[in-house]
Amino acid sequence: MLEVAQLSKVYGPDPAARPAVADLTFDVAAREFVCILGSSGCGKTTMLRCLAGLEPVTSGHVRLRDEVVSGPPREMAFVFQDYSRSLYPWMTVERNVAFPLRYKGVPKQEARAATQEALEAVGLGGRGRSYPWQLSGGMQQRVAIARALAYRPQILLMDEPFASVDAQTRAGLEDLLLDVWQRYEITVLFVTHDIDEAVYLADRVLVLRAPAHVALTVEVDLPRPRNQLTTKGHPDFGRLRSELLAALSPAGTPQ
Amino acid sequence: MTRTAIGTAAGGRTRPAAGGGTRRWGRALRLLALQLVVPVVLLAGIWWWTGQAGSFYFPPASEVARYFADLWLFERVGGDVLPSLGRMFAGYAIAVVVGMVLGTALGLSRLLRTAADPVVQFLRALPPPALIPFALLLFGAGDWSKVFIIALGTVWPILLNTIDGVRGVESQLLDAARSFQIPAGARLTRIVLPAATPRIFAGMRTSLSIAIILMVVSEMVASDNGIGYFVLESQRSFAIPEMWTGIVLLGVLGFVLNWLFVVMEARVLFWHRGLKGNSDA
Repeated sequence: MLEVAQLSKVYGPDPAARPAVADLTFDVAAREFVCILGSSGCGKTTMLRCLAGLEPVTSGHVRLRDEVVSGPPREMAFVFQDYSRSLYPWMTVERNVAFPLRYKGVPKQEARAATQEALEAVGLGGRGRSYPWQLSGGMQQRVAIARALAYRPQILLMDEPFASVDAQTRAGLEDLLLDVWQRYEITVLFVTHDIDEAVYLADRVLVLRAPAHVALTVEVDLPRPRNQLTTKGHPDFGRLRSELLAALSPAGTPQ
Repeated sequence: MTRTAIGTAAGGRTRPAAGGGTRRWGRALRLLALQLVVPVVLLAGIWWWTGQAGSFYFPPASEVARYFADLWLFERVGGDVLPSLGRMFAGYAIAVVVGMVLGTALGLSRLLRTAADPVVQFLRALPPPALIPFALLLFGAGDWSKVFIIALGTVWPILLNTIDGVRGVESQLLDAARSFQIPAGARLTRIVLPAATPRIFAGMRTSLSIAIILMVVSEMVASDNGIGYFVLESQRSFAIPEMWTGIVLLGVLGFVLNWLFVVMEARVLFWHRGLKGNSDA
């Protein structure tokens, strides 16, 4: 599905400058849920922006279904960390979700149905007429997820999407995401700095170290469907958690 | 003793919740009354003082009021008020369109901005009335010279605020749009411009008061109608009460126009208020 090969990114014209991403290589299979785990400042966001075609790469390449990514691909949707800066405050929730569909050439009737369906999938079926700023942070991020789902992507890129909501809301959003991931049969690449979140969600966790490269790959074979209580109480959960914590610990942590 | 105190405090806290609606209304009415007190007292004071002063320069307010009714309700509306307002709105409308279009272009392109900056800074610093003689040469003494002066004076706040507004759009709002493959034209009209409207409106509001000033000033030089012309002519023929009616009318017009603008702004930018109200809370 997604193939990242020897990807490097250096900001600015100086080729000797410290790269943000260096020789990053990994694959994501179709319908896989992959978490990218890294401490802050390790180049996660830059990497994701390169994958999304929002940032030109310095060398190497990103391929999505065998096509080199040179600009934002149609099969991809992006969910940003800061929902308040990615939803449009002058549009209702409904309009926010439907907005990209218009330019994708989706007929009006179909767009309306897809919007309603996506909003219902995230539990906001009745809030279409509200404005984003009338909703709580968790609800706003659900709107952002609905917008991504209605776009019918094959792959969803998520940049620490739950980092700015409280723990309770966060657990709910994680379960919601797993649910729609199954229901919409999509591939998810999820960036986080939270070990528990990565283990709870992923099929596979990639540990990133600065400048962004894969330092460790951990397969997560915890049973699905996952559950906040039983999965996090599973003996393997603790083992994976420790393994990842060790990988992220001082020796591996930049700065 | 302590228990009583706590009980009272708790009682005090529950009461506003129960009668909150009535209380809020009562408070709003009191504030409104307070706002009205000062103008009413001031007006009464002027009425009394001008009535007994016998001053040539400050004729009795009752006389001014009588003249006002005679002149402006509605005899001179067609001859002076409408031409004034027409020129003002024409100049203002030109400024809004030109300011927004140029401001968007300059806001988007760093190259254009750098190139245009010295010229913009110079023209902006030029007091528009200084160009009245030139405007008269160019357009003659008719409406267009005045429209030109008003447009020239009011375009800068709109232009500069549009530039700032367009430049200040959150980059992530645009990244989100790009990631959804929203074409550049739609990114401009559906995201950049709406996001810049709060700033653009701030500029338009400043420009509106400048427009009124320039409307009056432009009518005081080489004009044969308009409220500004009327005020100057009245003064020249020592028709002091008439002169005062013109001044009062200008004040009222300025007040009403600003109020209309605020109402429109609140409607267009309701989302901005909601957003700000949210982050304040």
